[in-house]
Amino acid sequence: MAQFSQEFTPLPIEAIHDEAVARKAGGWRYVQTLAVNTEAGIDLVYSYMKDGLLENLVAKALPAGSAVPSVTDQFLAAFVFENEIHDLFGITFEGLAIDFGGNFYRVAQKEPMTIISPELKAAREKAAKVAAAKAAKEAAKADRAEKAGEAQAEFLAAHPEAKAAATGGRVFAPSDDEAVEAKLAGMDPEKVARVRAAIAAKAKKAAAAEQDAAKDAELEAKLAAMDPEKAAKVRAAMEAKAKKAAEAAAKEGE
Amino acid sequence: MGKATVIPFGPQHPVLPEPLHLDLVVEDETVIEAVPQIGFVHRGLEKLVETRDYNQFIYVAERICGICAMGHSLGYAETVESLMGVEVPKRAEYLRVIWHELSRVHSHLLWLGLAADAFGFESMFMHCWRLRERVLDIFEKTTGGRVILSVVKVGGVVRDIDDAMMAQVIATLDGIMDDYTKIMNTLLTDTSVKNRTVDVGYISHKDALALSMVGPFARASAVNYDVRSFGRGAYGDLADFRPILDDGGDCFARVKVRCLEVLQSIEIIKELAAKMPAGDIEVAVKGAPADGAQASNVLEQPRGECYYYARGNGTKNLERMRMRTPTSQNLAGMTSALAGCDLADVNMIILTIDPCISCTER
Repeated sequence: MAQFSQEFTPLPIEAIHDEAVARKAGGWRYVQTLAVNTEAGIDLVYSYMKDGLLENLVAKALPAGSAVPSVTDQFLAAFVFENEIHDLFGITFEGLAIDFGGNFYRVAQKEPMTIISPELKAAREKAAKVAAAKAAKEAAKADRAEKAGEAQAEFLAAHPEAKAAATGGRVFAPSDDEAVEAKLAGMDPEKVARVRAAIAAKAKKAAAAEQDAAKDAELEAKLAAMDPEKAAKVRAAMEAKAKKAAEAAAKEGE
Repeated sequence: MGKATVIPFGPQHPVLPEPLHLDLVVEDETVIEAVPQIGFVHRGLEKLVETRDYNQFIYVAERICGICAMGHSLGYAETVESLMGVEVPKRAEYLRVIWHELSRVHSHLLWLGLAADAFGFESMFMHCWRLRERVLDIFEKTTGGRVILSVVKVGGVVRDIDDAMMAQVIATLDGIMDDYTKIMNTLLTDTSVKNRTVDVGYISHKDALALSMVGPFARASAVNYDVRSFGRGAYGDLADFRPILDDGGDCFARVKVRCLEVLQSIEIIKELAAKMPAGDIEVAVKGAPADGAQASNVLEQPRGECYYYARGNGTKNLERMRMRTPTSQNLAGMTSALAGCDLADVNMIILTIDPCISCTER
């Protein structure tokens, strides 16, 4: 048995009937007709199937109230869909085999599928605005990131000594420190003291981490120079020590 | 030859619990022409897609019809997944097909009961519906619902069936199979059934193709078309799938095709239960369908091929959702089968297309 696949192909409005004749002659099975209400007009989608290929032919943007030829002379099964589209979308089908003259569905509202309620319109406008705002925000964020990158590149070019440090972590342009100072100047003195203490603590922590890293690097270098068996023993001893320390810390926590 | 008279049939008729009206043009006892009229229960469900997001709409989709509820939620979910490029886990595909085939069993048993009732075989009606109850019990155990199951979601299913529960399901189906085989043999061999169905409402193979008929109605005229044979989802893992065909073209052939499809569905469920893969039952689906994106889908419902179409507009709400049900495709075939029949056979012919007008009007 054939594999299933689907395609969407444009269909010129004037070719709707000729296409139905060609499809019937080609042994295609008529699947359905549907309509979609869009801002540009009403789209009609005709579907045919052969050997697992479901081909949807899309006739775009028919003006409201327009007339198209019926395909019921080729495929009688289409009478249901054409009457339905007439009642719900207001498209007229010329030469319909079984024409209910607008009485197929008993609907309270004429052409109900073409009506966009004020609430829905408002919801769609809101969604469009939200999407636009999100896009603008993302564009601004990308722009800022680009500018910051440029500023950093400029700073590094002007201060070659900072280049080495830059590879290890983030480099703050002097403008950042200046901005912090400016901010602190306008603040409550007590708060300023707290902020300064926090900055100092952070710097101390960073320095301690750097020292630890340096110690580790030194130890690794020593171990690499040692006899592999001895190195393994040292490593095992170090791990056991670390484990013991962790256990003691956990006990203390309890 | 007498004068032509128009006899109205429905929308309220003892044989058909569906709001279908027919204007039957009769001469003496022979129907010359039948003009169907629907439109009594149009609810505008497709319009609701504009105010419900694509996850919420699945609950609307399965309320289109009380019999093919599972099929509609599955067809809708597959269409949205195709629109958003979502790939469903294998286990979820298996579970979906198992529940879908169970709905086919219950739908066909319901129909066989109604058909038996239509030709006056009351006890057969009771037996068919008794068996159908056991399928509804399986639904209740595995999903919590008997009619509206709400187990399918965009991206998978919401419930799993564990091995113990699956063993119970298979044991129940084995029990149903024994009882059902006896009922089926009676339906297919009893003279009173044949008197009312053989050579009634004949549709040739050529006409069935020309009228674009689908489902068991078409397969009873030897049209070799069943969406399941494309082998999509878990159907692709079946060792062998061949549509049930008959070349009789009459009401008896339609009864026979549906009878055999019940057995086929039970076999499919048992095979898939044995092959059930382990793993997740859903994937997370994020974002919204792209503006202008379109997808179509076909699914073999108990009554035949159902077509689904969705178009996105960049928001969580779809721009358009469309379901073309098998009954709307078969109405042309039904009017053709009615032309030239006896007035007394009208109800039998209408029943053999298994019309679902609520599905058709949505």
